Amino acid sequence: MLTASGLKKRFDRKAPAALDDVSFSVEAGEIYGLLGHNGAGKSTALGIMLGMVFPDEGEVLIGGKSVQRERQAALSQVGAIFESPAFYEYLSGWQNLKVLTAFSGGVDRKTMEEVVEWVGLSKRIRHRVGTYSHGMRQRLALAQALLPRPRVLILDEPTDGLDPEGIVEFREQLFELREKSGVTILLSSHLLSEVEQVCDRVAILQAGRKVYEGATRGLGGEGQLYRIETASADDLAKARKLAEPKSILAGPGDDLFVFPADADPAGFLADLVNAGVKVRQFVRLESTLEDLYLEVSQIRRDRNQEPKSA
Amino acid sequence: MSLFLKQLGWELFRMFARKRTYIGFGVFVAVELVIYALLTLDRSERNMERWIERVAGGFDHYFSALTLAFMIVAFTMLLLGAVFVSLVTGDIVAKETEDGNLRLLLVRPVSRFRLLLIKFLACQLYAIALFWFVGLTAFLVGLTERGWGGGMFVWTPELPRVSIFEWNEGLTRYALAVTAFVFAYLPITGIAFALSCLKIKPAAATIVTIAYILADSILSKIPLPIFEDYQHWFITPKMQSWALLLYQDIPWPRVLESWTWLVGFGITGFVVGWVLFERRDVKS
Repeated sequence: MLTASGLKKRFDRKAPAALDDVSFSVEAGEIYGLLGHNGAGKSTALGIMLGMVFPDEGEVLIGGKSVQRERQAALSQVGAIFESPAFYEYLSGWQNLKVLTAFSGGVDRKTMEEVVEWVGLSKRIRHRVGTYSHGMRQRLALAQALLPRPRVLILDEPTDGLDPEGIVEFREQLFELREKSGVTILLSSHLLSEVEQVCDRVAILQAGRKVYEGATRGLGGEGQLYRIETASADDLAKARKLAEPKSILAGPGDDLFVFPADADPAGFLADLVNAGVKVRQFVRLESTLEDLYLEVSQIRRDRNQEPKSA
Repeated sequence: MSLFLKQLGWELFRMFARKRTYIGFGVFVAVELVIYALLTLDRSERNMERWIERVAGGFDHYFSALTLAFMIVAFTMLLLGAVFVSLVTGDIVAKETEDGNLRLLLVRPVSRFRLLLIKFLACQLYAIALFWFVGLTAFLVGLTERGWGGGMFVWTPELPRVSIFEWNEGLTRYALAVTAFVFAYLPITGIAFALSCLKIKPAAATIVTIAYILADSILSKIPLPIFEDYQHWFITPKMQSWALLLYQDIPWPRVLESWTWLVGFGITGFVVGWVLFERRDVKS
């Protein structure tokens, strides 16, 4: 339903790449999470998907239409929510929806009323947005994203600033949307628990690169985090060298390796043996998304801090 | 086309739903009243009387509602016109980008060209509404002071000599001149719009536009031979084309030449803004 392929973006020649060869795809009806620190590249990736940021390389297809080449056809299938959505404060919620939907070709009154009712904003929809609480703004943001009925929802930090009740309610709304309308949802967040509870699959971005992609539930089952114990430090170094071209992340000074979703751990073990690495243990670790995320983050951070060899 | 008009309609609705819009209109009325008060001071009126009697004769006839309204409009537009038009146009893209409103529009299935065209046209329609508002309120002030009827006595620095009209002709010329302000201010909306499409603070777009117009106005009036060869590069002399409609005999070829130039400048400003914005990254 949504495919991002080879996205590269550098905003400034001197600055590091905001996105460096990021690819992923989201199946129809799936809830997919983009996870990462602030500055990891999530917003840039979403900006490219929504046609607001132009990639240096790569392309995003939504429902088979390229956002970069067939912008209108692609975006006609999309609804989006941004972190802290900015509405026209002096207009009512209803007027905001009218202004915004006019740029999507307009929506009939009945559909608008249904959506407003569904997001639970009927009583206040005629009031000025300037008088809305954060939660109400978020409901209005969801309403505008659903008008007209999109096939894909792209949500940037949608629960940011919501109280716990609001978060639970929002989560339930997403599940309901998926079940009733089959909407495909792409959600970006830095909240691990949110992604873990809502998303079917997740990609972790770090410094503009995708460092992990896989299922959020039953991470152990997918077996992405491995401990590889070798006979010597030299063997461990060899293992790390072999891991690198396969995008398997290895932590310096420890024996943990993170395999991407499409990696073949058994094949890698065979490679190690064939390369003469003495492997004492090759253990898949049961882990939560949080474990994985922190591990991946730590590995990347340590790697970045490693002094460059002459 | 109907969808385009609908979108333009909602853009205008949004623009006119702002309190700030009416504060702007209110400021114009306040300035008009100040100018009216200054023009009707005993000393000012005596000066006018001497002048009108000498040039046209019949002060009571020619110092009419139209004459008064024309003077109020000319001074008000001189003081505030450029500021307000550049304020509104300078804000139209830059402020919405800064506030984040534009993101919600940019993810809609609409081209950036169309979105910008709607905003640019909305600014032009705002300007028409503002000029007509100024024209009508000034006329009302004139009517209150001098009543219906009489002649019209017109002089501005752009006119080669004083023009004198009777009431009906004066009314037509007054309406034409007020409408012609739209053409006169097109370069300002063009510059402000182009700047607004840059990654720039909204205030900067307004300030740079006003600074440019001021510099252009000053340089175009410096009577040095060095500037003679460059007169055709200055905008502000062409912006005075509205005054051509108040010549005793309207020089239509000159009017059309100026309007073509001004419209061309305005469209160029829009195209430059669009080209700048078309490939611009808009990031949260």
